[in-house]
Amino acid sequence: MVSAVASQTQLPSERSSGVQKSANGPGCVALTGLNTFLGQRLAERLLSRPDAPRVVGIDLRYPLRLEGRIDFRRLDLTHPTADGELATILAEEQVESLVHLAFRSSPTADLEYDHELETLGSLHVLHACSAAKVQRLVVASSTMLYGPDPTNPNFLTEERPLAGHPDAHCIRNRVETEELLSQWVPRHPDVEVCVLRHCWVMGPSYVDHVVRYFERPVVPVVLGYDPLLQFIHEDDLLRVFEKATLEAHPGVYNVVGRGVLPLSTLLALAGKRRLALPSRWLYRMANISSQGQLGDLPAGFFDYLRHLWIADGERGWQAFGEPVYTTKEAWVSFVASRRMERFR
Amino acid sequence: MDEDPVPGEDNGFELLHLALSDLRREIRSRSSARCETRGSEKIAAEFDWQRAFDELRHRLGTFGMVERSGDVDEFGMDDVSLARSRTLLDFLMDRYWRVEVQGFDAIESGRPNLLVANRSGLLPYDGVMLSHAIERWHPLHRRPRFLVADWLITLPFAQPYLARLGGVRACRENADRLLRTGHSVIAFPEGVKGAAKVFAERYRLKRFGRGGVIRAAVENRVPLVPVGIVGAEEAHPILFKSGLPARALGLPFVPVTPTFPLLGPLGLLPLPTKWIISVGAPIPLDDLDVDSLDDELLLSRLTEELRGRIQELVSEALEQRASAWD
Repeated sequence: MVSAVASQTQLPSERSSGVQKSANGPGCVALTGLNTFLGQRLAERLLSRPDAPRVVGIDLRYPLRLEGRIDFRRLDLTHPTADGELATILAEEQVESLVHLAFRSSPTADLEYDHELETLGSLHVLHACSAAKVQRLVVASSTMLYGPDPTNPNFLTEERPLAGHPDAHCIRNRVETEELLSQWVPRHPDVEVCVLRHCWVMGPSYVDHVVRYFERPVVPVVLGYDPLLQFIHEDDLLRVFEKATLEAHPGVYNVVGRGVLPLSTLLALAGKRRLALPSRWLYRMANISSQGQLGDLPAGFFDYLRHLWIADGERGWQAFGEPVYTTKEAWVSFVASRRMERFR
Repeated sequence: MDEDPVPGEDNGFELLHLALSDLRREIRSRSSARCETRGSEKIAAEFDWQRAFDELRHRLGTFGMVERSGDVDEFGMDDVSLARSRTLLDFLMDRYWRVEVQGFDAIESGRPNLLVANRSGLLPYDGVMLSHAIERWHPLHRRPRFLVADWLITLPFAQPYLARLGGVRACRENADRLLRTGHSVIAFPEGVKGAAKVFAERYRLKRFGRGGVIRAAVENRVPLVPVGIVGAEEAHPILFKSGLPARALGLPFVPVTPTFPLLGPLGLLPLPTKWIISVGAPIPLDDLDVDSLDDELLLSRLTEELRGRIQELVSEALEQRASAWD
């Protein structure tokens, strides 16, 4: 009786032993940052394949929608001994490919934790990968790391140095992550490392600070500037991550949709009002909101709505196939889904 | 106003209309005493508020979409805004500056060309006019894209319009990509030095960059065509440049023209000078390959030759012109 009650009150994290493990088929896939949008959706996509691999999720919390369908291992990547613990998990589960997604989708005011998670967490993941002899490592990154700059060419290739943004801590941490990675990769030629730099994501269910910015009925923009922007649809992004997890694509890839559109056209398509303000006010607004936890716009965000930072997706399109949605279609799908929500 | 709404049809709008007219009648009857004394009732009765409201709502709903299309090309050129500004560009070309074109046969059709021209004036009227002239008078159907210096592409309010009219930030990556994808490109190697020429130095070409145009032409195997543009310098005669306000505004220079700070923004309008666009024969580069460009002396000799050719074209065109005004 007591044991029955105990089993009912068990934490989901300890209930992972009941999951069926398919012996044949592709090897085991582990996801760090399971609780992110990408982590949950990628796990679901992998599980829905006919040749579904075994999926091990690693995070602090077990997402409810995946309960009982995957093996969950609780691990805090910011913990000083996280590298050893992760190496043990990877060796125990015989993980073939590790997808590192433990990054915050939106910036936070807790700069210290941000740095611990994004930079040192990634370092722990790298150490664990080399210790546990993982075959493949897929790392999520962003084209925002190229940095908005008036001297950027219209299309940035993967070789472009990552300038980041001097004010944005979240971007700086991820640039540091990529630097660590670029030092680590040549020393470990036996690991296939795939870095996927994706642009802003749009779609019916994806939410981050950029989406929240565009959800406002009145959108503040920089007075006198109308930059070209590009988006990728969430389905295309997940398809690319799925392919990178299961196939060998070593290298760095920009993951972007085809086509570009000016910000003013995007807002006009969505029927939103533009509030054009001088750049200084907007920068101050973003700085105050990022430091004072009033909003989630990172410092320097409006530079991304002022200068060019479009990435050239040719290499990614050739490796992972043509995206289904263009920039405009991704944007329209986002706008349409938000309109439908009002009638729900 | 008093007809009954047709049952079964979409009459929600009709009902709203009736309710509104009832309300209006009621308001008018209550305030008739005051209106009569002022004599303004007649006007109030004739003005159809409903239609005005609908019109206003429609205008607001399409606001911002009337002058641009939903699609731009990968460098931000918008065909709809181009079509809309065509009347203005034609007016500038035919009436205002009376642009005369010479030697357009030298531009090869069917493949991209790299056109190199002399730069003048603060705003890139020369680039806009040259690309417009080529689209109008040459079988090379696609509109050539003109390269714009960094400081101009980041200038507030200029950047959105420049991109829509076909301006692209001047850098090697952009030029290569355009030439690779079959667009002709107009480059101004003088850069900001050309735009900042004062009136006393007009039509004397400044030093050309570091051979970027030669490299771009050789590496992409496209003809390098020199173009001389005469008339743009007098459209914005810069008397002298002032430094202090330029530093405050973040510009490379603030020009002082006979009209500019004096008449305010109106002074930014260009003067109606007579323009001649003269295209020369392409510079032969076929015997060069990418490796031979490692020779810096050859590169600087070629750059200087190109500058000389454009200077010749400009001087010849200047002699043809009786004065700057006709």
